[in-house]
Amino acid sequence: MGCSTKAALLLVTAALLIFAAPAARAQVPKVGTAKNAIGVLLITRQDGTSVRLQGKGNQDLFEGDELKTGPGAQALIEFMDGTRVAINEQTTFLVRSRQDPTTGVTRILRLLIGELWIKTSAGPKPLEVETPVASAAIRGTEFNMKVLPNGQSLLTVVEGLVEFGTPFGTCPIRAGTQSVGERGKRCTRPAPTDVQPAIAWIQEVLK
Amino acid sequence: MIENAIARWGTLVLAILLLAGCAEQTAPPAQVGPARRLYVANESSGTISMIDAAALRVVGTVELGTPGTHDLALTRDGKTLYATGLATGMLSVIDTAQGKILTTIFTGRRCHSVALTNDERHIWVVNIGENNVSIVDTKSHRILGTIPVGREPGHIRFNKDGQFAYVTLQEEGAVEVIEVATHRSVTKIPVGQRPHYLLPSPDGRYMWGGATGENFVYVIDTTGNRVVGRMQVGSTPQHLAFAFRGMIGPLAYAAAEKENAVVVVNANPQDLRIIERIAVGQAPSGVTADRTGTRLFVSNQLENTVSVIDTGTGRVIGSIPVGIKPIGMVASF
Repeated sequence: MGCSTKAALLLVTAALLIFAAPAARAQVPKVGTAKNAIGVLLITRQDGTSVRLQGKGNQDLFEGDELKTGPGAQALIEFMDGTRVAINEQTTFLVRSRQDPTTGVTRILRLLIGELWIKTSAGPKPLEVETPVASAAIRGTEFNMKVLPNGQSLLTVVEGLVEFGTPFGTCPIRAGTQSVGERGKRCTRPAPTDVQPAIAWIQEVLK
Repeated sequence: MIENAIARWGTLVLAILLLAGCAEQTAPPAQVGPARRLYVANESSGTISMIDAAALRVVGTVELGTPGTHDLALTRDGKTLYATGLATGMLSVIDTAQGKILTTIFTGRRCHSVALTNDERHIWVVNIGENNVSIVDTKSHRILGTIPVGREPGHIRFNKDGQFAYVTLQEEGAVEVIEVATHRSVTKIPVGQRPHYLLPSPDGRYMWGGATGENFVYVIDTTGNRVVGRMQVGSTPQHLAFAFRGMIGPLAYAAAEKENAVVVVNANPQDLRIIERIAVGQAPSGVTADRTGTRLFVSNQLENTVSVIDTGTGRVIGSIPVGIKPIGMVASF
């Protein structure tokens, strides 16, 4: 049997496979769960559809979701690797990720405005928080990030170490210190601070 | 369900066995290294064609998985290629030696064009859907910040000393100038309707661009950030490149999309005139030249080909079939 005949047979076979197979739906990976909301947590999927969480619950979260709280609202979510994120009022952020050949999957939270508290579970969990002016990369820690309407970003580290970077340089920010990221500047030198007032807002939503 | 799976796997095994006898008759995969390569973004295929620029043939294809591949940037050593995805908002980072995607980074909706900083520490990515520019660290792939720009940004280029970035604002009919050291917007230069692509002149003093909503290319003198010349080239000017015709030049080669031609313009802003028009394929868009300015490549969107022009004679010397709707291109040589 010549090659052209074999190729023709293969084409027919492939056609049968393709047209006989049930239509496959595009899959978006589930990445976590929204567990609690004081007020309303609005979750908008990449296709524009949205769901809401009010009170305790288990709302699935997917890659590409946008999460938003209004005035007076707070929420708590948990990713599948155990990382917990508390969301303060008037906060909007996107859930994304990046796959690197050397470091594997890095969870990315693009914080557009508002405030997040983040605590990873045991073990190294690559996670970054992107703001309009900076990026915070962690390897297992607890910290708080607040973004103002002009993009200015205030990082408070409760535990562990955060690499806080802007296009003008990266600063290691350790537990018990704060740093500010601003457009067009390097992040500020870490300043010692009492971290408890910075994260006092999470108490209600963690209950 | 199980019966279906068995049938499919069985058919696949049969197909493999049938074709096994042909294996020795197929050519071995070509070596895809970074030397003398032309890379072509095929927007509707969602692929990048890797072309051997000496043999004028495709030697490999990178599959990005989704249509929308639009603009490309290549590191100076030719080892890393960056590709924007209009539909996904993702920037793909590609190892050119292996033809493999290393990582993808979500920059923003409708991520459209890219430019590497002169030191290649960062890559700036224009996101049409966000009216901003993302700044990506080329080592860590982290997005370190964003810069808000005007409405419907198109393309971005750094001037030759790397101190300023120029961004076309399609809806505003202007080019915005951003100071790299501070990320501040310095000025907006009115240029004409729907400015899209732009490129610094070989001597670095000027920034050339095409007003796709009109029929001219414009020239900005970057010392004063003002337009010092306009030249009618034909309907919907797209990308452009600089090259030489023997001793003459530099010349600006602009793709006139609706004319199916590349229009050659004397690149002296004090003596703007058309030198010649070179007929190429249907709806030319991308134009890129090699570093010597002797070979020019033009992507023809509606023909799915790349025309190769010998600038010394002004003649098309080859046509390379590529993927569907080729747009952005970059050469490694």
